[in-house]
Amino acid sequence: MAGGTALRRSVYRLRLSWKLTSLNVRARLEYRVEFALGILAGILWQASVMVFATVLISRFPGLGGWSSGGVLLIASIRLLSHAVYGVLFANVNRLHAIVQEGKLEAFLLRPLPVYRQVVLHQFHINTFGDLAVAVTLFSLALRRLALEWTPFKIVFLCAAVVGGALIEAAVQTALSCAALRSPTATADWTGWLDHTLSTFGNYPLAILPGAVSGLLTFVLPVAFIAYLPAAVLTGTYEGTLVPREIALASPCAGVVLFLAARRLWNWNMRRYEGIGG
Amino acid sequence: MTPVGAVATIGRLCRITRVTWLSELLEPGRMVSTAIQVGSQVFLTACLWTALYAHTEVSAGLQEHQAVGYAVLAVLASRLRPLSRDMAPDSFYRHMREGTILYWFLRPLPPHRYHLVRALGDQAHGLLWVLAGYGLCTTAGVVPLPDGRWTLPAFLVSMFLGQVIVYQLSLILDLLCFWTVANSNALHVSHFVQSLLSGAFAPLWFFPGWFTTANSFLPFQSTLHIPLSIYVGRIPVNRVPREVAVQAVWCLLLWLITRTLWKRAESRVAVQGG
Repeated sequence: MAGGTALRRSVYRLRLSWKLTSLNVRARLEYRVEFALGILAGILWQASVMVFATVLISRFPGLGGWSSGGVLLIASIRLLSHAVYGVLFANVNRLHAIVQEGKLEAFLLRPLPVYRQVVLHQFHINTFGDLAVAVTLFSLALRRLALEWTPFKIVFLCAAVVGGALIEAAVQTALSCAALRSPTATADWTGWLDHTLSTFGNYPLAILPGAVSGLLTFVLPVAFIAYLPAAVLTGTYEGTLVPREIALASPCAGVVLFLAARRLWNWNMRRYEGIGG
Repeated sequence: MTPVGAVATIGRLCRITRVTWLSELLEPGRMVSTAIQVGSQVFLTACLWTALYAHTEVSAGLQEHQAVGYAVLAVLASRLRPLSRDMAPDSFYRHMREGTILYWFLRPLPPHRYHLVRALGDQAHGLLWVLAGYGLCTTAGVVPLPDGRWTLPAFLVSMFLGQVIVYQLSLILDLLCFWTVANSNALHVSHFVQSLLSGAFAPLWFFPGWFTTANSFLPFQSTLHIPLSIYVGRIPVNRVPREVAVQAVWCLLLWLITRTLWKRAESRVAVQGG
């Protein structure tokens, strides 16, 4: 009985999300040129990774002890998880604008959780572009790597992509809590975080000095998004700073961090005082 | 114009350039984040290119110190671009959407001059960041000092012309708002194209021949690749006059385009809201 109610609720939520997303896409279609440019922007934005990868493949033998195919695998896993994050959570790092424009007050009056309204607030068409580049880069990586795909590796890759998306969502959600108090100061930090994840996350952290590599593994969990999952898939554990078992459990980090970030967000939301308008 | 009038006009223009500085000073959080962003980007760029050259002496005619210097300077030079004024909210798009663009045409100062002076304020603000970063990077030995007596003056002239081109390209995108209303995605696309074709992502010397040949017919490499190649010594000083002449031609061409666009834009101001 209880299971049936939960299922009905889930179906209702999914239908509502789909309806809101469709409306958002229709709204974006009002500006046709901007819509087309949005998809192109998504492709081009992430294509910078491909540009660097092309230079890497054509001119240098590898990077930080990884072959060029291995580096491409790290970059493609990072991009795949970023695309999933973009589809589901991209609006979280726009919270500063939502607060500044006074929209959050309206969200508080509606019979839907505020966080869900934030993530459904706008659909980012650029994510189609992210996804296109991610898939291209992944197929390039596979062509250069002689990986033996087992059922475990396929399941692990899927879990790693979802886990990576949840890590990005967790970090951005935790940072967005600050936007509830000071939206203008937070705007640049979300951009910086996005930039940091996209630059440091695409390469083997072994190229960085030990302290920085440690910081990006244990403080800002960049390593857990793509570097450690790629290490598991290729068996390249040298320079990863964590034991093999932790690398194997890297997709779980996303779930744990996301749940913690949501608790932090709810705590801050309960103390929110309107500052926009 | 009398000398007193000229001084008063310059004073007014200086007050407009100060807007960028004052709005940034009011947001210390933004300044800290800019410092961290630039610092981390420079650090990663230096680490990446050093690691790439771990088993290579020379690649695409560039030695390690030249490639690292080029890449790091490209990161620093990206701060010279006009600032994002979305949070102010003072972007061209916000003015178009909220109808406040109308005021640009009611002020005693012509809109094209106001746009230019605000951009000068932005670029002067960016220059301060660049100089601070350059000082730190040369002290740390990440960026080599220019080699030869004429390299630095040649670089400065070329960089100045490059910045004129950067301004005119961004102005064209802003003016597009008069036709397309929204320009945020156009800005994203342009940002990428400009970064790729100017050498901000990777030095253009690493790209295939057909790519660099096609790129030489566009204005983008004049913004960054030419000045940086002069700085690191990849373009010899005797080739500088030719490169600078090409940059000057681009400045003139783009000025003609933006002048025409301003004239046409003035006749089609549409207020979307407000």
